[in-house]
Order: sequence, then structure tokens, then C-alpha cells
Amino acid sequence: MKLQNFHSRRRRCLIHESESGRSSFPAAGQSGSRHFAPGVGSMDYYASQSGLRKWNDGYKVAAACTALLLCLVLNRPEISAAVFISMGIVNVRANLVPLRDYIGFLKIPIAFLALGSVAIACGISAEPLGDYRIWLHWRYLYLTREGIRQAMELFFKAMGSVSAMYFLALSTSAGQLAGVLRKAHVPKIIVELMNMIYRFIFILTKVQKSMKIAAVSRLGYMDFKTSCRSFGQTGGNLFLLSLRKADTYYDAMVSRGYEGEFFFWEEEKPVKFWQAGILALYVLGLLFLYFLVK
Amino acid sequence: MEHNTEEILRTEQLAFEYQSGRPVLQKLSLSIYQGEKIAVMGSNGAGKSTFFLNLNGVLWPKEGRIVYRGKQIGKKDLNYLRRHVGFVFQDADNQIIASSVQAEVAFGPLNLKMPKEEVRQRVTQALEYMDLLEYRDRPPHYLSGGEKKRVSIADIIAMKPEIILFDEPTAALDPLSGNMLEEALEKLSGEGKTLLISTHDVDFAYRWAERVLVFDRGELIADGGTLEVFRQEKVLEQAHLKKPELLTVYETLLERNLISKDSYPRQAKELAEALIS
Repeated sequence: MKLQNFHSRRRRCLIHESESGRSSFPAAGQSGSRHFAPGVGSMDYYASQSGLRKWNDGYKVAAACTALLLCLVLNRPEISAAVFISMGIVNVRANLVPLRDYIGFLKIPIAFLALGSVAIACGISAEPLGDYRIWLHWRYLYLTREGIRQAMELFFKAMGSVSAMYFLALSTSAGQLAGVLRKAHVPKIIVELMNMIYRFIFILTKVQKSMKIAAVSRLGYMDFKTSCRSFGQTGGNLFLLSLRKADTYYDAMVSRGYEGEFFFWEEEKPVKFWQAGILALYVLGLLFLYFLVK
Repeated sequence: MEHNTEEILRTEQLAFEYQSGRPVLQKLSLSIYQGEKIAVMGSNGAGKSTFFLNLNGVLWPKEGRIVYRGKQIGKKDLNYLRRHVGFVFQDADNQIIASSVQAEVAFGPLNLKMPKEEVRQRVTQALEYMDLLEYRDRPPHYLSGGEKKRVSIADIIAMKPEIILFDEPTAALDPLSGNMLEEALEKLSGEGKTLLISTHDVDFAYRWAERVLVFDRGELIADGGTLEVFRQEKVLEQAHLKKPELLTVYETLLERNLISKDSYPRQAKELAEALIS
């Protein structure tokens, strides 16, 4: 028997949504509190609502690593660009990350790479060197064709690799990743720590946020000096609080029969034939492109 | 109080302290019977949570003993006790450990070393029970407070304990989740589970409980039927408890002979019916 009259209408619309293959994860509007839920819009949030969340986790890790390896090993800007574009399409269409947010995620590596590429492409010299140069009244700022080519290659290679890793981060949560590592016989202690840390990050950020808001509301961040002090105090408090939380957490675990070893439930998600096929086609496509441009 | 049913759990002269010389529980002797609905009341620091942690086998009593179904619990039987006495913690965030709702509910049964099929079945049952089936794959940290509470209850239901301890379950719940919780409690006791709930909400205790335990500074100062306990002004005063609103209304009506003597309305609706008839 189900609990009567509880969200029955809401449930129906949720089921309907998931039947149509879309995410059943309500982004907004389902409950007021969800707007303010911690980390909505973060990578982990998108991983939890990804259209690929029901796919085998090991498969997703393998797919991301294959794309990454092809990017690095084949070492051609065309391949890297193809990986960058294809992974972008997958992240937006299959992982259901809104394009605007995905671009937001890409901005950080682009900023780093842009600066790095400029450093590679440009040189400074007293002599008029290179293919293009500007006289800065003291030294020449020059570019070489070779340098530009190198910078471009590096940029595409890095962006392709980053987007392959984004595919992993946006489709697989850290908890699922821990499951894959466990199956790969990574030492238990690391996997258990990973699970615990993953869960605790959310608890600590939530506590930290509420403490910060409490401090802000009491003018704790009104100028630089008070900000520093409030930040320090929040940090110290957080440390004490996390010790206490760890205690109650341990009690709660023990009360449910924890005896020193974690057993986590992992949903079995077998790889389907057509899923393996997609990956094989993808790899073949990239190889084909490689021979084409070579 | 007379009991038609079997005794499940008994504490004998139970005492506990976190620091020596500062007893948190003192000489606690009581019996809990099958299917009872018990409200545990008392101000903050009166020892309610510590009492629960002792009953659940998380804390080991300093003195006295716990007897579960005629078996005295020794240090080696703690897991036996934990298996049969479930504990829903006050803050769901302190209890939820796994990174998906399903894995979370499976945590207890997996610790009991059950076969996978059995675990799957229990998880599905518990999720269905708390109306959480469509939240299965969700990570718990994106759920709302009420939803997390339901997950933390499903955690315990999946372990199928005989006794369930709830530490202030009504705190920090919105009315909708509160109603849902009361429905779930009704359903659980309908299935013969024994429930102990610590709460500060006298109106809830009056409405729901059949038996009330009142703690004050680690001592049990009252143990009896709900009405019996709430009519002891001295006990209420000592434990800083308010009299339930409904009881106050009822007693006033009784003084003026406006209501029959043998009706003890527990809900506003029952009071209205008693007045009309």
C-alpha cells in the first residue's frame, strides 16, 4: 500500500517524464527548496541527471579514456577538433547539460590554454626574428609559423582531452566512479575514502554555506578585516563541527550494523550490444579521419 | 499498565555516563511490549537520545543490562540487538551515507550480509513503503529535508527491525512531511512494529502515543498511559512540559459538565464528536 494522497499528481508527471526518456530529475518547480539545494548546476549535479546515468559506468570510463588516448596518441589537430566537437555534442545532447552551462565549464580551461598558447607562439628578441614581428621600441615581439602551428596543435589537443574528461565528469558521479575503481581492484581503503569524502563534501559545503550566511547577516563580511576574521572562525568552527559530525555519523553507521567494512549497493548496468557498437563506430570514425588527413 | 502482549525489550537498572561522575542515565528499569506506541519526552539533555543509543546497542551501558526477548545482551550480541532495534536519527544528514538513495537504503541489509536478491527485494519494499521509488537513482544530497527524512526511515524499514526508535522525527519538518510521517507511523504500528519516539511536541505525543515516558536529568520520572502521565501536573512541571491543548480544553469542559466523563478525545475531530453527541 502506498502512502495515500502524497504527491500523487506530482508523481504521475515525474513518471511520465522519465518514460519519455528525458530526465526525471526536476530542475526547478518541483519543490521550493530545490532552487536552493546545494550545488545545483555543478558538474556533480549534471552527472546525477545525465541521460546516460543508466549506462554502465565502466563503459563510460572506458569511452572517455579511449577518446582521451586517441587525442593524445594520434596527435593531430583534426582528430582533437573532432573529439572536442563530438564530445561537446554528447555532453549537451546526451548528458543534458544546457549549452550555456557547458560553455561556462569550458571557459576555465580555455582561459588557461589561451594564455599558455600565446606563451608558446610568441617570442621576444632584440634581433628581428620570426615570420611576423612588432617593434616595441626596445625589443621585438615576434611570431613564427612553426610556433603558431605548435600552439594551435596544443590548444586543440588539450581541448579535446578536456572535453573527453568532461564527458566522464558530466555522466558519472564520484560515487559511481568509486564503484568502477573497486571493480578495477583499487585498494579498498582508497575506494572507501572516496565514497566518504564524496558524501562529506556536500555536508561540509552545506554547513559552511549556512555559517557564512549567518556571518554575513551579522555584518561579518563588511570589510576586508572582518572578512578575514569571519573566514578564519568559520574554518575553525567547521573543523570542530566536522569532528562532531564524524562521531554521530559513526554512531549512525554502527547502529545499522557497520563492522569496519563498507558494502555499497551497486546497480548492475550491463553494457548493451548497441552501446558497445556506438563506441566501436566512434573509434573507427576517428581512425578513418586520421588516415584521411595523414 | 496491563499488557496483553509479549515483552520484547527490558532494561534493568541501566546507567550510562559519557564522562565519569556525570551520569546521563540513572537506574533505568522498564519493559517494552510488542506493538506499543511510546512517546519519550523530556527537555534537551534529559537523556532521551542517550537512552535510544543504549537500546540500539551503539553505546554500552556502564551499569545494568538490556534483555531482548529473554536474552541478556552481552558485548558480543550487540549486532543482534542492532538488527532488531532500528534507530532513525534526528538529522537525516548525519545518517545518510551512500551516494544514491537506493545504495543508501541497501546499506543496512548489506551489512547484515544478506544475499543480493533479498537486499534488492527489501530495498524495493522499503522505497515503496516510503513512496520513494522514483527517487531510486538520485543522490541524496539533492533531496529536500522531508525527502531525506523519508529516506532515513526507509533505511531502517529495509532492515525489518521489531522496534524502531525515532529521535525527534517531527523536528524541522514542514506540515506536509509531518503528515506523511504520521501516516507512516500509523502504518508501521498497524503492522505490529513497536515504536518509540522522542519528541518535544506534547500535542503530537498526546495524539499519537499510548504510553509516555518522561525523562528528567537522566531519570525516568514518569511511565504510564498517555492520559495518566499528562494529568500529573507535578511531572509536567518538573520536566518543563506543557499540557496538551486538547487535554486542557477537555478538562475545562469536564469541569463544567459539558462533556461525558469516559470520552478521552485525542484529536480535535473526536472532541467535536464527543461534544455533539
